[in-house]
Amino acid sequence: MSVLLRLDRAAFGYGRRTVVSGVDLAVGAGDFLGIVGPNGSGKTTLFRGILGLIPPLAGRVERTSAAIGYVPQRETLDPIYPLSVTEVVAMGAYGRLRGLRTLRRVDRDLARDCLARVGLAERAHDAFASLSGGQRQRVLIARALMTRPQLLLLDEPTSGVDRGAQAHILELLIGLNTREHMAILLVSHQLAMVRDAVKSCLWVANGMVERGSVADVLAPERLAESYTTVSSMLEDAP
Amino acid sequence: MIALDDTLADVSWIERISLFRWALSAALIAGIVCPIAGVFLLVRRTSFQGIALPQFATAGVVFGFAILPWWIEHIGLGDLTAESALSDTHAAMNYHFAWAAVFTFVGLAALVWTGRRNLGSEIGRTAAAFAIANAATYLFGRLSPIGKGHADQLLTGEVLGVGLHEFETLAVVLGLSLLIFVWFQRDLLLVSFDRETARVLGKHVTAFEGLLNVVVGLTVSVGTMTLGPTMLFGLLVLPPLAARRFASSMTNFFLLSSGIGVLAVVLGVVISFELDFPLGPSIVAAAALALLPGAFPVRRST
Repeated sequence: MSVLLRLDRAAFGYGRRTVVSGVDLAVGAGDFLGIVGPNGSGKTTLFRGILGLIPPLAGRVERTSAAIGYVPQRETLDPIYPLSVTEVVAMGAYGRLRGLRTLRRVDRDLARDCLARVGLAERAHDAFASLSGGQRQRVLIARALMTRPQLLLLDEPTSGVDRGAQAHILELLIGLNTREHMAILLVSHQLAMVRDAVKSCLWVANGMVERGSVADVLAPERLAESYTTVSSMLEDAP
Repeated sequence: MIALDDTLADVSWIERISLFRWALSAALIAGIVCPIAGVFLLVRRTSFQGIALPQFATAGVVFGFAILPWWIEHIGLGDLTAESALSDTHAAMNYHFAWAAVFTFVGLAALVWTGRRNLGSEIGRTAAAFAIANAATYLFGRLSPIGKGHADQLLTGEVLGVGLHEFETLAVVLGLSLLIFVWFQRDLLLVSFDRETARVLGKHVTAFEGLLNVVVGLTVSVGTMTLGPTMLFGLLVLPPLAARRFASSMTNFFLLSSGIGVLAVVLGVVISFELDFPLGPSIVAAAALALLPGAFPVRRST
Protein backbone atom coordinates (compact mmCIF):
# COMPACT_ATOMS: atom_id res chain seq x y z
CA MET A 1 0.00 0.00 0.00
CA SER A 2 1.46 3.35 -1.06
CA VAL A 3 1.39 5.88 1.76
CA LEU A 4 -0.17 9.23 0.79
CA LEU A 5 0.03 10.93 4.17
CA ARG A 6 2.19 10.17 7.17
CA LEU A 7 2.22 11.86 10.57
CA ASP A 8 5.09 11.00 12.86
CA ARG A 9 4.71 12.01 16.54
CA ALA A 10 3.00 15.16 15.29
CA ALA A 11 1.56 17.78 17.62
CA PHE A 12 -0.77 20.60 16.58
CA GLY A 13 -2.11 23.66 18.34
CA TYR A 14 -2.24 27.43 18.27
CA GLY A 15 0.57 29.66 19.46
CA ARG A 16 2.23 27.78 22.30
CA ARG A 17 -0.94 25.85 23.23
CA THR A 18 -0.83 22.23 22.13
CA VAL A 19 -4.28 20.80 21.35
CA VAL A 20 -3.40 17.32 20.08
CA SER A 21 -0.03 15.59 20.38
CA GLY A 22 1.78 12.33 19.69
CA VAL A 23 -0.15 11.67 16.48
CA ASP A 24 1.15 8.72 14.46
CA LEU A 25 -0.81 8.09 11.32
CA ALA A 26 -0.34 6.62 7.86
CA VAL A 27 -3.03 6.99 5.21
CA GLY A 28 -2.75 4.89 2.06
CA ALA A 29 -4.68 4.52 -1.18
CA GLY A 30 -8.13 3.09 -0.59
CA ASP A 31 -8.30 4.09 3.09
CA PHE A 32 -11.55 5.60 4.34
CA LEU A 33 -11.01 7.23 7.71
CA GLY A 34 -13.37 9.15 9.95
CA ILE A 35 -12.14 11.60 12.57
CA VAL A 36 -14.53 11.59 15.52
CA GLY A 37 -14.52 12.78 19.09
CA PRO A 38 -16.37 15.00 21.52
CA ASN A 39 -16.81 18.74 20.88
CA GLY A 40 -13.65 20.69 21.64
CA SER A 41 -11.48 17.57 21.56
CA GLY A 42 -9.24 18.85 18.75
CA LYS A 43 -10.77 17.18 15.67
CA THR A 44 -10.68 20.41 13.68
CA THR A 45 -7.16 21.23 14.86
CA LEU A 46 -5.93 17.80 13.74
CA PHE A 47 -7.76 18.20 10.42
CA ARG A 48 -6.23 21.65 9.84
CA GLY A 49 -2.80 20.23 10.67
CA ILE A 50 -3.23 17.39 8.19
CA LEU A 51 -4.29 19.91 5.52
CA GLY A 52 -1.23 22.05 6.21
CA LEU A 53 -3.27 25.06 7.34
CA ILE A 54 -1.38 25.09 10.64
CA PRO A 55 2.23 23.93 11.01
CA PRO A 56 3.08 21.05 13.38
CA LEU A 57 4.34 22.19 16.79
CA ALA A 58 6.35 18.97 17.00
CA GLY A 59 6.97 15.87 14.92
CA ARG A 60 6.60 15.55 11.15
CA VAL A 61 3.85 15.71 8.57
CA GLU A 62 4.69 14.14 5.23
CA ARG A 63 2.31 14.42 2.28
CA THR A 64 3.47 12.16 -0.52
CA SER A 65 0.26 12.61 -2.50
CA ALA A 66 0.81 15.23 -5.18
CA ALA A 67 -2.79 16.35 -5.07
CA ILE A 68 -5.09 16.72 -2.09
CA GLY A 69 -8.74 17.50 -2.58
CA TYR A 70 -10.29 19.62 0.15
CA VAL A 71 -14.00 20.04 0.81
CA PRO A 72 -14.69 22.78 3.39
CA GLN A 73 -17.88 23.21 5.38
CA ARG A 74 -20.27 24.86 2.95
CA GLU A 75 -21.59 27.18 5.72
CA THR A 76 -18.24 28.98 5.64
CA LEU A 77 -18.89 30.11 2.05
CA ASP A 78 -20.79 33.39 1.77
CA PRO A 79 -23.83 33.23 -0.57
CA ILE A 80 -23.37 36.91 -1.48
CA TYR A 81 -20.97 35.80 -4.25
CA PRO A 82 -23.08 35.32 -7.42
CA LEU A 83 -20.93 32.39 -8.53
CA SER A 84 -22.25 29.90 -11.06
CA VAL A 85 -21.80 26.20 -10.36
CA THR A 86 -19.24 26.02 -13.18
CA GLU A 87 -17.23 28.89 -11.68
CA VAL A 88 -17.09 27.14 -8.28
CA VAL A 89 -15.96 23.85 -9.80
CA ALA A 90 -13.37 25.64 -11.97
CA MET A 91 -11.77 27.03 -8.80
CA GLY A 92 -10.36 23.55 -8.26
CA ALA A 93 -8.06 24.17 -11.23
CA TYR A 94 -6.89 27.61 -10.05
CA GLY A 95 -3.86 26.06 -8.35
CA ARG A 96 -2.59 25.14 -11.83
CA LEU A 97 -3.29 28.54 -13.41
CA ARG A 98 -1.12 31.65 -13.33
CA GLY A 99 -1.90 35.18 -14.50
CA LEU A 100 -4.18 35.60 -17.47
CA ARG A 101 -4.15 31.95 -18.50
CA THR A 102 -7.66 30.71 -18.99
CA LEU A 103 -8.91 27.21 -18.27
CA ARG A 104 -7.63 24.82 -20.91
CA ARG A 105 -10.03 22.61 -22.81
CA VAL A 106 -8.84 19.65 -20.75
CA ASP A 107 -9.75 21.51 -17.53
CA ARG A 108 -13.16 22.49 -18.89
CA ASP A 109 -13.79 18.88 -19.86
CA LEU A 110 -12.62 17.78 -16.43
CA ALA A 111 -15.00 20.26 -14.77
CA ARG A 112 -17.91 18.80 -16.75
CA ASP A 113 -16.77 15.30 -15.84
CA CYS A 114 -16.47 16.16 -12.13
CA LEU A 115 -19.95 17.66 -12.12
CA ALA A 116 -21.29 14.55 -13.85
CA ARG A 117 -19.59 12.34 -11.25
CA VAL A 118 -21.48 14.11 -8.47
CA GLY A 119 -24.72 13.96 -10.48
CA LEU A 120 -25.10 17.68 -11.14
CA ALA A 121 -24.15 18.03 -14.81
CA GLU A 122 -27.48 19.63 -15.62
CA ARG A 123 -27.02 22.36 -12.99
CA ALA A 124 -23.71 23.66 -14.45
CA HIS A 125 -25.06 27.13 -15.26
CA ASP A 126 -27.19 27.61 -12.15
CA ALA A 127 -26.23 29.95 -9.36
CA PHE A 128 -24.28 28.11 -6.65
CA ALA A 129 -26.23 29.92 -3.93
CA SER A 130 -29.54 28.79 -5.41
CA LEU A 131 -28.79 25.08 -4.86
CA SER A 132 -29.91 23.08 -1.84
CA GLY A 133 -27.41 22.37 0.95
CA GLY A 134 -26.78 18.82 -0.27
CA GLN A 135 -26.30 19.95 -3.87
CA ARG A 136 -23.87 22.66 -2.82
CA GLN A 137 -21.90 20.05 -0.89
CA ARG A 138 -21.73 17.87 -4.00
CA VAL A 139 -20.51 20.86 -6.05
CA LEU A 140 -17.73 21.37 -3.50
CA ILE A 141 -16.81 17.69 -3.84
CA ALA A 142 -16.71 18.19 -7.64
CA ARG A 143 -14.41 21.18 -7.10
CA ALA A 144 -12.12 19.04 -4.94
CA LEU A 145 -12.06 16.36 -7.66
CA MET A 146 -10.70 19.01 -10.09
CA THR A 147 -7.28 18.60 -8.45
CA ARG A 148 -7.35 14.90 -9.49
CA PRO A 149 -6.76 13.97 -5.86
CA GLN A 150 -5.52 10.69 -4.49
CA LEU A 151 -6.54 11.87 -1.03
CA LEU A 152 -9.83 13.65 -0.32
CA LEU A 153 -10.30 15.54 2.94
CA LEU A 154 -13.80 16.62 3.97
CA ASP A 155 -14.90 18.80 6.87
CA GLU A 156 -18.38 17.86 8.15
CA PRO A 157 -19.63 16.87 4.67
CA THR A 158 -23.18 16.01 5.74
CA SER A 159 -23.71 18.67 8.37
CA GLY A 160 -26.99 20.54 7.99
CA VAL A 161 -28.36 18.56 5.05
CA ASP A 162 -31.48 16.38 5.02
CA ARG A 163 -31.38 12.58 5.17
CA GLY A 164 -31.88 12.12 1.46
CA ALA A 165 -28.97 14.44 0.67
CA GLN A 166 -26.83 12.72 3.34
CA ALA A 167 -27.45 9.37 1.68
CA HIS A 168 -26.56 10.82 -1.72
CA ILE A 169 -23.30 12.28 -0.43
CA LEU A 170 -22.37 9.05 1.37
CA GLU A 171 -23.09 6.99 -1.72
CA LEU A 172 -20.87 9.34 -3.73
CA LEU A 173 -17.98 9.12 -1.25
CA ILE A 174 -18.22 5.32 -0.97
CA GLY A 175 -18.20 5.14 -4.77
CA LEU A 176 -15.07 7.29 -5.03
CA ASN A 177 -13.39 5.13 -2.40
CA THR A 178 -14.31 1.71 -3.78
CA ARG A 179 -14.36 2.34 -7.52
CA GLU A 180 -11.53 4.86 -7.81
CA HIS A 181 -9.51 3.67 -4.81
CA MET A 182 -9.40 7.25 -3.54
CA ALA A 183 -8.28 7.67 0.07
CA ILE A 184 -10.85 9.65 2.04
CA LEU A 185 -10.50 11.30 5.40
CA LEU A 186 -13.46 13.12 6.88
CA VAL A 187 -14.18 14.84 10.14
CA SER A 188 -17.74 14.61 11.42
CA HIS A 189 -19.80 14.78 14.55
CA GLN A 190 -22.48 12.62 12.92
CA LEU A 191 -21.49 9.24 14.31
CA ALA A 192 -24.16 7.28 12.44
CA MET A 193 -22.91 8.61 9.12
CA VAL A 194 -19.32 7.81 10.03
CA ARG A 195 -20.28 4.31 11.16
CA ASP A 196 -22.01 3.56 7.86
CA ALA A 197 -19.34 4.97 5.58
CA VAL A 198 -15.79 4.65 6.88
CA LYS A 199 -13.46 1.66 7.16
CA SER A 200 -11.63 2.85 10.27
CA CYS A 201 -11.73 5.74 12.73
CA LEU A 202 -9.48 8.20 14.48
CA TRP A 203 -10.75 8.89 17.98
CA VAL A 204 -9.70 12.30 19.25
CA ALA A 205 -10.10 13.02 22.96
CA ASN A 206 -8.09 14.61 25.76
CA GLY A 207 -5.38 15.79 23.37
CA MET A 208 -4.64 12.27 22.16
CA VAL A 209 -5.46 10.51 18.89
CA GLU A 210 -6.13 6.79 18.61
CA ARG A 211 -6.81 4.76 15.45
CA GLY A 212 -9.10 1.78 15.55
CA SER A 213 -11.80 -0.13 13.77
CA VAL A 214 -15.27 1.40 13.49
CA ALA A 215 -16.63 -1.18 15.93
CA ASP A 216 -13.96 -0.41 18.55
CA VAL A 217 -14.00 3.36 18.27
CA LEU A 218 -17.77 3.69 18.11
CA ALA A 219 -18.43 1.10 20.82
CA PRO A 220 -21.34 2.30 22.97
CA GLU A 221 -19.30 1.99 26.18
CA ARG A 222 -16.58 4.29 24.86
CA LEU A 223 -19.07 6.79 23.50
CA ALA A 224 -21.03 6.80 26.75
CA GLU A 225 -17.98 8.28 28.46
CA SER A 226 -17.92 11.25 26.08
CA TYR A 227 -21.47 11.74 24.87
CA THR A 228 -24.68 12.07 26.82
CA THR A 229 -27.02 11.13 23.97
CA VAL A 230 -25.19 8.25 22.33
CA SER A 231 -28.20 6.26 21.21
CA SER A 232 -29.80 9.16 19.37
CA MET A 233 -26.52 10.04 17.65
CA LEU A 234 -26.03 6.48 16.41
CA GLU A 235 -29.62 6.10 15.31
CA ASP A 236 -29.44 9.23 13.21
CA ALA A 237 -28.54 7.24 10.13
CA PRO A 238 -29.80 8.38 6.71
CA MET B 1 -11.94 74.19 -10.87
CA ILE B 2 -14.34 75.59 -13.43
CA ALA B 3 -18.02 75.94 -12.65
CA LEU B 4 -20.52 75.47 -15.41
CA ASP B 5 -22.28 78.80 -15.35
CA ASP B 6 -24.69 80.71 -17.52
CA THR B 7 -21.97 81.65 -19.99
CA LEU B 8 -21.91 78.02 -21.11
CA ALA B 9 -25.63 77.80 -21.73
CA ASP B 10 -25.20 78.55 -25.43
CA VAL B 11 -22.16 76.35 -25.90
CA SER B 12 -22.80 73.28 -28.05
CA TRP B 13 -22.47 69.77 -26.67
CA ILE B 14 -19.42 69.06 -28.82
CA GLU B 15 -17.70 72.16 -27.53
CA ARG B 16 -18.60 71.31 -23.92
CA ILE B 17 -17.21 67.80 -24.30
CA SER B 18 -14.09 69.20 -25.87
CA LEU B 19 -13.71 71.84 -23.16
CA PHE B 20 -14.12 69.37 -20.31
CA ARG B 21 -12.58 66.36 -22.03
CA TRP B 22 -10.09 65.58 -19.27
CA ALA B 23 -12.75 65.67 -16.55
CA LEU B 24 -15.14 63.55 -18.60
CA SER B 25 -12.44 61.06 -19.54
CA ALA B 26 -11.39 60.80 -15.89
CA ALA B 27 -15.00 60.18 -14.86
CA LEU B 28 -15.36 57.49 -17.53
CA ILE B 29 -12.23 55.68 -16.38
CA ALA B 30 -13.49 55.86 -12.79
CA GLY B 31 -16.85 54.56 -14.03
CA ILE B 32 -15.11 51.49 -15.42
CA VAL B 33 -12.63 50.73 -12.64
CA CYS B 34 -14.24 51.86 -9.36
CA PRO B 35 -17.23 49.47 -9.63
CA ILE B 36 -14.79 46.55 -10.05
CA ALA B 37 -13.05 47.55 -6.81
CA GLY B 38 -16.54 47.97 -5.35
CA VAL B 39 -17.46 44.39 -6.31
CA PHE B 40 -14.65 43.13 -4.10
CA LEU B 41 -15.71 45.47 -1.28
CA LEU B 42 -19.31 44.25 -1.58
CA VAL B 43 -18.65 40.50 -1.65
CA ARG B 44 -16.12 40.82 1.18
CA ARG B 45 -18.85 42.70 3.06
CA THR B 46 -16.65 45.76 3.48
CA SER B 47 -18.65 48.22 1.35
CA PHE B 48 -18.66 50.80 4.11
CA GLN B 49 -14.91 51.08 3.63
CA GLY B 50 -15.95 52.79 0.40
CA ILE B 51 -17.19 55.76 2.42
CA ALA B 52 -14.53 55.74 5.15
CA LEU B 53 -11.48 55.47 2.90
CA PRO B 54 -12.30 58.47 0.65
CA GLN B 55 -12.78 60.48 3.84
CA PHE B 56 -9.30 59.44 4.97
CA ALA B 57 -7.96 60.51 1.58
CA THR B 58 -9.71 63.90 1.93
CA ALA B 59 -8.22 64.34 5.41
CA GLY B 60 -4.81 63.54 3.90
CA VAL B 61 -5.22 66.22 1.23
CA VAL B 62 -6.19 68.86 3.82
CA PHE B 63 -3.32 67.73 6.08
CA GLY B 64 -0.99 68.18 3.10
CA PHE B 65 -2.18 71.78 2.73
CA ALA B 66 -1.85 72.38 6.47
CA ILE B 67 1.81 71.40 6.61
CA LEU B 68 2.72 72.70 3.13
CA PRO B 69 4.63 75.81 4.41
CA TRP B 70 6.58 73.68 6.91
CA TRP B 71 7.26 71.02 4.26
CA ILE B 72 8.62 73.52 1.76
CA GLU B 73 10.80 75.19 4.37
CA HIS B 74 12.28 72.01 5.88
CA ILE B 75 12.07 69.36 3.17
CA GLY B 76 11.35 71.23 -0.05
CA LEU B 77 9.10 70.61 -3.03
CA GLY B 78 11.32 71.02 -6.06
CA ASP B 79 12.20 74.69 -6.30
CA LEU B 80 8.77 75.87 -5.28
CA THR B 81 7.86 78.42 -2.67
CA ALA B 82 4.73 78.07 -0.50
CA GLU B 83 2.88 80.47 -2.81
CA SER B 84 3.99 78.95 -6.10
CA ALA B 85 3.25 75.43 -4.83
CA LEU B 86 -0.40 76.35 -4.52
CA SER B 87 -0.60 77.20 -8.19
CA ASP B 88 1.70 74.54 -9.60
CA THR B 89 -0.56 71.71 -10.68
CA HIS B 90 2.11 69.02 -11.14
CA ALA B 91 4.00 69.43 -7.89
CA ALA B 92 0.91 70.16 -5.82
CA MET B 93 -0.99 67.22 -7.27
CA ASN B 94 1.84 64.75 -6.65
CA TYR B 95 2.37 66.12 -3.14
CA HIS B 96 -1.33 65.93 -2.21
CA PHE B 97 -1.77 62.56 -3.88
CA ALA B 98 1.04 61.26 -1.71
CA TRP B 99 -0.71 62.51 1.43
CA ALA B 100 -4.07 61.16 0.26
CA ALA B 101 -2.41 57.77 -0.28
CA VAL B 102 -0.64 57.84 3.10
CA PHE B 103 -3.88 58.62 4.96
CA THR B 104 -5.86 56.05 2.94
CA PHE B 105 -3.36 53.30 3.69
CA VAL B 106 -3.18 54.25 7.38
CA GLY B 107 -7.00 54.08 7.53
CA LEU B 108 -7.05 50.80 5.62
CA ALA B 109 -4.33 49.29 7.81
CA ALA B 110 -6.27 50.31 10.92
CA LEU B 111 -9.45 48.71 9.56
CA VAL B 112 -7.64 45.50 8.60
CA TRP B 113 -5.79 45.36 11.93
CA THR B 114 -8.89 45.88 14.05
CA GLY B 115 -10.79 43.43 11.83
CA ARG B 116 -8.18 40.70 12.34
CA ARG B 117 -8.54 41.19 16.10
CA ASN B 118 -12.33 41.17 15.93
CA LEU B 119 -12.58 44.52 17.71
CA GLY B 120 -16.27 45.36 17.40
CA SER B 121 -18.41 44.79 14.32
CA GLU B 122 -17.35 45.61 10.76
CA ILE B 123 -19.98 48.36 10.57
CA GLY B 124 -18.96 49.78 13.96
CA ARG B 125 -15.27 49.84 13.04
CA THR B 126 -15.93 51.52 9.71
CA ALA B 127 -18.32 54.06 11.26
CA ALA B 128 -15.69 54.92 13.87
CA ALA B 129 -13.05 55.27 11.14
CA PHE B 130 -15.33 57.58 9.14
CA ALA B 131 -16.05 59.72 12.23
CA ILE B 132 -12.33 60.07 12.99
CA ALA B 133 -11.40 60.88 9.37
CA ASN B 134 -14.25 63.38 9.10
CA ALA B 135 -13.20 65.15 12.31
CA ALA B 136 -9.57 65.16 11.17
CA THR B 137 -10.60 66.84 7.89
CA TYR B 138 -12.20 69.73 9.80
CA LEU B 139 -9.39 69.98 12.36
CA PHE B 140 -6.71 70.12 9.66
CA GLY B 141 -8.96 72.53 7.78
CA ARG B 142 -8.72 74.97 10.70
CA LEU B 143 -4.96 75.01 10.18
CA SER B 144 -5.30 75.57 6.45
CA PRO B 145 -8.30 77.48 5.10
CA ILE B 146 -7.02 76.88 1.54
CA GLY B 147 -6.95 73.15 2.19
CA LYS B 148 -10.44 73.29 3.68
CA GLY B 149 -11.64 75.18 0.60
CA HIS B 150 -10.08 72.52 -1.63
CA ALA B 151 -11.75 69.75 0.41
CA ASP B 152 -15.11 71.55 0.21
CA GLN B 153 -14.72 71.73 -3.57
CA LEU B 154 -13.98 68.00 -3.68
CA LEU B 155 -16.97 67.26 -1.45
CA THR B 156 -19.26 69.38 -3.64
CA GLY B 157 -18.22 67.20 -6.54
CA GLU B 158 -17.69 69.97 -9.09
CA VAL B 159 -14.91 68.23 -10.96
CA LEU B 160 -15.14 69.71 -14.45
CA GLY B 161 -11.87 71.55 -13.89
CA VAL B 162 -9.82 68.35 -13.90
CA GLY B 163 -6.81 69.03 -16.08
CA LEU B 164 -4.42 66.97 -18.18
CA HIS B 165 -2.00 66.14 -15.37
CA GLU B 166 -4.76 65.05 -13.00
CA PHE B 167 -6.24 62.94 -15.79
CA GLU B 168 -2.86 61.37 -16.54
CA THR B 169 -2.28 60.49 -12.91
CA LEU B 170 -5.76 59.00 -12.55
CA ALA B 171 -5.47 57.10 -15.85
CA VAL B 172 -2.12 55.57 -14.89
CA VAL B 173 -3.20 54.54 -11.38
CA LEU B 174 -6.66 53.27 -12.31
CA GLY B 175 -5.25 51.62 -15.45
CA LEU B 176 -2.77 49.77 -13.26
CA SER B 177 -5.57 48.83 -10.85
CA LEU B 178 -7.67 47.49 -13.74
CA LEU B 179 -4.72 45.48 -15.01
CA ILE B 180 -4.22 43.92 -11.57
CA PHE B 181 -7.95 43.19 -11.18
CA VAL B 182 -8.00 41.44 -14.55
CA TRP B 183 -4.65 39.68 -14.20
CA PHE B 184 -5.26 38.36 -10.70
CA GLN B 185 -9.06 38.17 -10.84
CA ARG B 186 -9.17 34.41 -10.23
CA ASP B 187 -6.74 34.53 -7.31
CA LEU B 188 -8.36 37.58 -5.68
CA LEU B 189 -11.76 35.92 -6.04
CA LEU B 190 -10.61 32.59 -4.62
CA VAL B 191 -8.88 34.08 -1.56
CA SER B 192 -11.95 36.26 -0.92
CA PHE B 193 -14.51 33.46 -1.36
CA ASP B 194 -12.69 30.53 0.26
CA ARG B 195 -9.51 31.42 2.10
CA GLU B 196 -8.74 27.90 3.32
CA THR B 197 -9.16 26.21 -0.05
CA ALA B 198 -6.94 28.91 -1.56
CA ARG B 199 -4.22 27.98 0.93
CA VAL B 200 -4.67 24.26 0.25
CA LEU B 201 -4.29 25.01 -3.48
CA GLY B 202 -0.99 26.75 -2.74
CA LYS B 203 -2.07 30.37 -3.05
CA HIS B 204 -0.30 33.05 -1.00
CA VAL B 205 -3.47 34.28 0.68
CA THR B 206 -1.88 37.07 2.73
CA ALA B 207 -0.02 38.39 -0.32
CA PHE B 208 -3.18 38.47 -2.44
CA GLU B 209 -5.21 40.11 0.33
CA GLY B 210 -2.44 42.68 0.70
CA LEU B 211 -2.43 43.27 -3.06
CA LEU B 212 -6.21 43.79 -3.03
CA ASN B 213 -5.89 46.31 -0.19
CA VAL B 214 -3.11 48.19 -1.99
CA VAL B 215 -5.09 48.38 -5.23
CA VAL B 216 -8.26 49.52 -3.44
CA GLY B 217 -6.22 52.05 -1.44
CA LEU B 218 -4.57 53.49 -4.57
CA THR B 219 -7.87 53.62 -6.45
CA VAL B 220 -9.54 55.43 -3.56
CA SER B 221 -6.73 57.92 -2.91
CA VAL B 222 -6.19 59.01 -6.52
CA GLY B 223 -9.93 58.93 -7.20
CA THR B 224 -10.68 61.13 -4.19
CA MET B 225 -7.90 63.54 -5.10
CA THR B 226 -9.19 63.92 -8.64
CA LEU B 227 -12.94 63.36 -8.54
CA GLY B 228 -13.85 63.85 -4.89
CA PRO B 229 -15.22 61.47 -2.25
CA THR B 230 -18.87 61.84 -3.31
CA MET B 231 -18.45 60.48 -6.82
CA LEU B 232 -15.93 57.90 -5.69
CA PHE B 233 -18.16 56.46 -2.98
CA GLY B 234 -21.11 56.42 -5.36
CA LEU B 235 -19.17 54.55 -8.05
CA LEU B 236 -17.67 52.10 -5.57
CA VAL B 237 -20.98 51.12 -4.02
CA LEU B 238 -24.01 51.77 -6.23
CA PRO B 239 -23.14 49.93 -9.50
CA PRO B 240 -22.14 46.66 -7.76
CA LEU B 241 -25.23 46.87 -5.55
CA ALA B 242 -27.45 47.30 -8.61
CA ALA B 243 -25.62 44.62 -10.62
CA ARG B 244 -25.66 42.00 -7.84
CA ARG B 245 -29.38 41.45 -8.26
CA PHE B 246 -29.04 40.47 -11.90
CA ALA B 247 -25.60 38.83 -12.03
CA SER B 248 -25.67 35.11 -12.78
CA SER B 249 -21.92 34.61 -12.44
CA MET B 250 -18.94 36.54 -11.09
CA THR B 251 -17.71 37.36 -14.61
CA ASN B 252 -21.15 38.71 -15.35
CA PHE B 253 -21.09 40.63 -12.03
CA PHE B 254 -17.84 42.43 -12.89
CA LEU B 255 -18.97 43.31 -16.42
CA LEU B 256 -22.44 44.42 -15.36
CA SER B 257 -21.05 46.61 -12.54
CA SER B 258 -18.58 48.29 -14.87
CA GLY B 259 -21.28 48.76 -17.51
CA ILE B 260 -23.60 50.41 -15.00
CA GLY B 261 -20.69 52.62 -13.86
CA VAL B 262 -20.09 53.83 -17.43
CA LEU B 263 -23.81 54.41 -18.05
CA ALA B 264 -24.06 56.35 -14.78
CA VAL B 265 -21.20 58.61 -15.90
CA VAL B 266 -22.80 59.23 -19.31
CA LEU B 267 -26.22 59.92 -17.82
CA GLY B 268 -24.67 62.00 -15.03
CA VAL B 269 -22.90 64.19 -17.61
CA VAL B 270 -26.21 64.78 -19.40
CA ILE B 271 -27.93 65.71 -16.10
CA SER B 272 -25.04 67.93 -15.11
CA PHE B 273 -24.89 69.80 -18.43
CA GLU B 274 -28.64 70.10 -18.91
CA LEU B 275 -29.56 71.10 -15.36
CA ASP B 276 -26.32 72.86 -14.43
CA PHE B 277 -25.74 70.48 -11.51
CA PRO B 278 -22.30 69.56 -10.18
CA LEU B 279 -20.98 66.54 -12.07
CA GLY B 280 -20.07 64.27 -9.12
CA PRO B 281 -23.48 64.19 -7.42
CA SER B 282 -25.18 64.00 -10.85
CA ILE B 283 -23.26 60.79 -11.62
CA VAL B 284 -24.15 59.37 -8.19
CA ALA B 285 -27.82 60.22 -8.77
CA ALA B 286 -27.66 58.49 -12.16
CA ALA B 287 -26.02 55.43 -10.58
CA ALA B 288 -28.78 55.37 -7.97
CA LEU B 289 -31.34 55.01 -10.77
CA ALA B 290 -29.79 51.64 -11.54
CA LEU B 291 -31.05 50.42 -8.16
CA LEU B 292 -34.67 50.90 -9.22
CA PRO B 293 -35.04 47.73 -11.34
CA GLY B 294 -33.75 45.75 -8.38
CA ALA B 295 -36.71 46.96 -6.33
CA PHE B 296 -38.99 44.75 -8.41
CA PRO B 297 -39.06 40.95 -8.25
CA VAL B 298 -36.93 39.11 -10.80
CA ARG B 299 -38.51 36.16 -12.56
CA ARG B 300 -35.87 33.48 -12.91
CA SER B 301 -36.20 30.42 -15.09
CA THR B 302 -35.67 27.16 -13.20
